[in-house]
Amino acid sequence: MNQLERLLNLVGLLLESLRPLTFEEIREQMQGYEPSDSGKRKFERDKDVLRDNGIPIELVSSDPWEGSPQAYTIAKDRYYLPEISFSPQELSALFLAARSGVGEDPSAEQAVRKLLSGAEGGVFSGAAPGPLGIGPDIDGGRLTATAEAVLRGGRRVRFSYTTARGDRSDRSVDAYGLAWRAGHWYLVGRDDERDDVRAFRLSRFASDPADIGEGSEPPEDFHAADHVDIGLWGPGQPGGTATVAFSPDVAWWVTTGIPEAVVGEANKEGWVEVTVPSTDDVSLASWVLGFAADARVVSPGALRDEVVGRIEAVLGA
Amino acid sequence: MPEDGIDELAEGSKSRKPRRGKTRQAKASERLARLLVIVPYLVEHPGTHIDVAARLFGVDRDALVDDLKVVFLSGLPPYSPGDLIDVELDEDGTVSIRMADHFSRPLRLTRHEALSLYLQGTALVGTPGVPEATALTSALAKLREGIGDDTLGAAERVEAAEAGRPAELLDTIREAAAARERVEIVYVALSTGEESTRTVDPEEVFSSLGNWYVAAWDHSRDEERLFRADRMRSVRSTGETFEPRGLEGAGRPLYSPGERDVQVRLVLKPEARWIAEYHPVDEAAERADGQLEVALRAKELDWAARLVLRVAPYAEVLAPQTLQERVKGLARRTREQYF
Repeated sequence: MNQLERLLNLVGLLLESLRPLTFEEIREQMQGYEPSDSGKRKFERDKDVLRDNGIPIELVSSDPWEGSPQAYTIAKDRYYLPEISFSPQELSALFLAARSGVGEDPSAEQAVRKLLSGAEGGVFSGAAPGPLGIGPDIDGGRLTATAEAVLRGGRRVRFSYTTARGDRSDRSVDAYGLAWRAGHWYLVGRDDERDDVRAFRLSRFASDPADIGEGSEPPEDFHAADHVDIGLWGPGQPGGTATVAFSPDVAWWVTTGIPEAVVGEANKEGWVEVTVPSTDDVSLASWVLGFAADARVVSPGALRDEVVGRIEAVLGA
Repeated sequence: MPEDGIDELAEGSKSRKPRRGKTRQAKASERLARLLVIVPYLVEHPGTHIDVAARLFGVDRDALVDDLKVVFLSGLPPYSPGDLIDVELDEDGTVSIRMADHFSRPLRLTRHEALSLYLQGTALVGTPGVPEATALTSALAKLREGIGDDTLGAAERVEAAEAGRPAELLDTIREAAAARERVEIVYVALSTGEESTRTVDPEEVFSSLGNWYVAAWDHSRDEERLFRADRMRSVRSTGETFEPRGLEGAGRPLYSPGERDVQVRLVLKPEARWIAEYHPVDEAAERADGQLEVALRAKELDWAARLVLRVAPYAEVLAPQTLQERVKGLARRTREQYF
């Protein structure tokens, strides 16, 4: 009997058995394990293979009242995937997601294959459009370590962090949530020293996060995404609007890419006035300056002054 | 036939690549792992074609047939013919499995499998312009609620804030890439604002830092180029197809060095340090005054001039001298918009 056949029989036997079985009982019922040390060693190796594959084989006492031999069991509720049915579109979307990652780790795709059993009607409809890639800015290990702390709940982590301005310090943070935004993953949590909820970009971690014990739980209705939603031009809620005129060369791009933009009529040179929500004049001014002579601030005055002031700082130098 | 959908779905699998040369005999452990997933599927979906199953589960067809032969020999005590799993591979290529109640449901997802899928799915949901986002959101909710806290933990604490730029022509270019169609695009270069018409072979479509990119072979210049999907003004099929060259997609650097690149040296104040995070730098040195001195490469000096103006006055140009002049020229032209 080859090893694969033996493994299949062993899994089947332990799943179907009404009570835990000792090695002797397994050997008698199953064939394939010789009544010798080598048979026992073969069984030990098979058991390791099952464990490596995530099969919950457990060792229990066959009878707690006597010094009876240890017995093996596979708990059905820990083995079988609960029934979850998915529509063809959902499975198609899960495959798309599983294949969007970078690297060789096949685990997301393996996850979808396990879920395929729940395919409604057993078929997939509709065309599957082409693959899409999502490039992360960090390696998988750091993401997994951070996610583990968040998913366990009520954990505090410690890590070294470099801010956007280049300042590095050690942080102790109660891991409330994990949020994705524009190609970055953020840990959101209560910074112990600052006694405030902050978002930390994982790609700015200077060390992997270490779990340092229990931490506080997030307040009710906490949403990690709210803390990384920094709007179009920087942190804070939009406080007003700004109107910027764009040349014909760039106007098409500005007006198609910003859903919040209110687009005015083009003047006779083809310049278009676009009104966007504004949060922070400094960030918005940078955006406008990036268009150089293809953009002109119309209002508010403070934004115009910021842009002109920065241009003059360059010319005056 | 409804199975067609499966055919298409199975395309593009990471594990689909046929092995060249001598085929390696998979270990019993790997074969067990895939059988514990495939057998339940075939029990639940009798009549699935063997080729479809092979593609769907990323296994070589012959290897799958070998595996199923072993399944046919296995069963439950006392292993008399009536206790063995019944595997039927019909002449028309369809497979059915009976007498395998104990394998009628797959093994649970490991924590790592569930987490990998959940994180990757959340990232895709939070990337704008993906038509599958709605189906993916409901699939992730089912997964979260269905597999239980012991596998995934408090998964509702992982969220996506949708941000970044959608691209109007994303679906068009994505279909072209999937069908390996050569296309003609009208493209506006990010670096200079210049519009051009090019014939390209789009190979990979991916999102990075909130923007959609297309890695393509540019026939107009006979070189590999990275295009921002949102900067494409039109995409038109040429009716020709192409053989992929294996260009790199997601995870690649967003800048591919070229022979004509110019090296630029800048000193960045804290407000402009993000430049060193978003652009690959050849050198970066911390200075005692808290500023960062960097060397980076530019394809076009005009691109560098716009970058410097964007963070003005928080970046100082050390070299080349011509860049400093271009920044000033650009600043003067921009100032004219106001006076």
